[in-house]
Amino acid sequence: MSNGVHEIEDAKLLLVFGYNGADSHPIVARRIVRAKRKGAQIICVDPRRIETARIADLHLQLKNGSNLALVNSLAHVIIEEGLTDNAFIAERSHGFDELKELVKKYSPEAVADITQIHPDDIRKAARLYATSGQSMILYGMGVCQFAQAVNVVKGLANLAIMTGNFGRWGVGIGPVRGQNNVQGACDMGALPNSYPGYQNVTIPEVQAKFEKAWGVPLSNKVGVPLTHVPRYVLHEPEDKKIRAYYVFGEDPAQSDPDLNEVRESLEKLEFLVVQDIYMTRTSQYADVILPATGWNEHDGVFTCCDRGFQRIRKVINPPPDADVLTDWDIISRISTAMGYPMKYKNTEEIWNELIDLCPNFTGATYEKMEKYVNVQWPCRSKDLADKGTSFLHKDGHFANPDGKAKFSAVDWLPPTEKENQEFPLIFSTNREVGHYSARSMTGNCRLLRNLEDEPGWIQMNPALCQELGVKEGELVKVVSKRGHCVTRCLPTERVKKQAVYMTYQWWIGACNELTIAALDPISNTPEYKYCACRVEKIKNQVWAEKYVLEEYAKIRAAMGVNPKGGQTA
Amino acid sequence: MNSFVQGDPLLCIGCRTCAIACVVAHEGKRVFEIDPDGYDFHPRLSMVKTWLVSVPVQCKHCENPACLAVCRSEAISQVEGKVLVDQAKCIGCKSCVEACPFGAVRMVALGFATNPDGSPRAVAHKCDLCHGLPGGPACQRVCPTEALRLVEREDLDAIVKNKRQATLVAAASPELRDRPNAF
Repeated sequence: MSNGVHEIEDAKLLLVFGYNGADSHPIVARRIVRAKRKGAQIICVDPRRIETARIADLHLQLKNGSNLALVNSLAHVIIEEGLTDNAFIAERSHGFDELKELVKKYSPEAVADITQIHPDDIRKAARLYATSGQSMILYGMGVCQFAQAVNVVKGLANLAIMTGNFGRWGVGIGPVRGQNNVQGACDMGALPNSYPGYQNVTIPEVQAKFEKAWGVPLSNKVGVPLTHVPRYVLHEPEDKKIRAYYVFGEDPAQSDPDLNEVRESLEKLEFLVVQDIYMTRTSQYADVILPATGWNEHDGVFTCCDRGFQRIRKVINPPPDADVLTDWDIISRISTAMGYPMKYKNTEEIWNELIDLCPNFTGATYEKMEKYVNVQWPCRSKDLADKGTSFLHKDGHFANPDGKAKFSAVDWLPPTEKENQEFPLIFSTNREVGHYSARSMTGNCRLLRNLEDEPGWIQMNPALCQELGVKEGELVKVVSKRGHCVTRCLPTERVKKQAVYMTYQWWIGACNELTIAALDPISNTPEYKYCACRVEKIKNQVWAEKYVLEEYAKIRAAMGVNPKGGQTA
Repeated sequence: MNSFVQGDPLLCIGCRTCAIACVVAHEGKRVFEIDPDGYDFHPRLSMVKTWLVSVPVQCKHCENPACLAVCRSEAISQVEGKVLVDQAKCIGCKSCVEACPFGAVRMVALGFATNPDGSPRAVAHKCDLCHGLPGGPACQRVCPTEALRLVEREDLDAIVKNKRQATLVAAASPELRDRPNAF
């Protein structure tokens, strides 16, 4: 995020775009509620009537998959009505003329059919955003989980640049990341193209720096993104093929799109290592399982989505018979066994090595995290006076070589797989409060499991339910071109009739059986938010209920855990 | 006057932390120590979501409760300003569920009490304002957006006062309405 989470409540206007805080991050949602209480106006852009939409001044209930058409139209109105910050554009950016030319054709009238939004509402939203004086954009997976994702993010940044909403308190754009430490994983270089601190592996000086620090020659080749692994296992020629796979705190057999293909690739692998805290769907395919400690059994550092480093502390010892190690100890031992001796006394020692190699993190010492609780990078000096950076781009200075922001001019593209006669509905994944990610943690929390358990729900408009003759709680079959699953019907007028929604953490209601592995060309994130499906009534409900119970027991038995319920062994 | 817990739909985010806190408060620490399937998960409030509103619905602890009036087994009583169900005395006639104007009472099957035919026994279940538990209503304490509050005599007085004020303003002639400090 360009700005701190704590700044949300001070914004005068929040444009919440494809981000469902109430279900994904209740603690961030609290900031949105507080902003509203402090008098902020809220525009919510979401195909569903999510909690934010209820308290918003304006809800643009757009058609799924029309993001960039709407964003370009907002830019069109801001430019057409002369609401731009011309000084900021002239002094702090380039590329505006190209964008201005491109968005000419995106009048609210021209995109009304694509977005299903009344032109007046688009105009109203553009005016509110451009004129509040302190507007902040929050976006989430409703932007990122499309084949056209990065360009929508750039489109949202266009809005912030052209209105001068960057580089101050309570403005900017905030990707409110899907998981608690996904920012931390990226910060630490768990990406195919970078060392820790976003230092690119292809830059010779960077390579030389890390080679010197670690005393080994390092590759300058960009690695394989997670979502390309199935292709590298199944379809690449022999010399390029992936044969071994080390999966660490991730459950691709649950969370990746098109599970049929994922399973096939996991089966084809010659060697699979899984390092996790509980058995997962992926661990069923593992040759070796390395059991690791849970979040309360080890020390470390998490990064919040707003770049804030925070300590996490060991609270309890693992059970004496658990035979688990901390993740960093496992990695050290593997590395040592593979011929590169690695030995650390504690996480602080690892952290100190890391921050000295990453200029943007150098000042974020354990001492400061202890003292200030939250230290947001960039924090370049170890001096206690450098408390980190709440908002980026101060005085309009951007991270590009010329220090200026760059407008992006890109046309809207429709989603990859459109509805058709056989599969007439839009299928989208979503989140529900309580269960986190692939459920390997929350599925083992008994109260959260009590709140929601297998096989999950599919959100459907009541008119659609009536048409199909299905009632609340009834088991239904959901089918796409790639697979099917069984789940429960949840009628809700908060979704339109054209689209249905499921969460992705269930084993039986595994909606990734349906999703499509269409990837954004830049981020390689799959189009989890759009594919075509149909919902079928199951006539024999007694059979269906029995099927769910039997499947649950079967999966648990295959994972070697208690067959009765939940995940705990 | 009896107090009750009320949710504010403008603050509620529908997260159901209140529902979990309700079960934990009534079951106590043992929830975390027993077999995960060894207790009943029956929150005493229900999250209701419509197009306009998300908010938990729970007992208003009426002064002259309809549920109490229709109860044939003396299972429902008023104690220290709270309307309580003694589930051991409940005969499961469901009259209170029908009588409650707010949908605040429901029947729950207790997994550990059985009927003569072996089926799980269903009894009346509702909010007891955490009667006998330390710290007051748990739902209100845990709400991340402070959407729940315990409404007491002085809160109602304030609501009434504000409404009277608004009535005066609405009824006043335009000249009076525009004069500073008229109200």
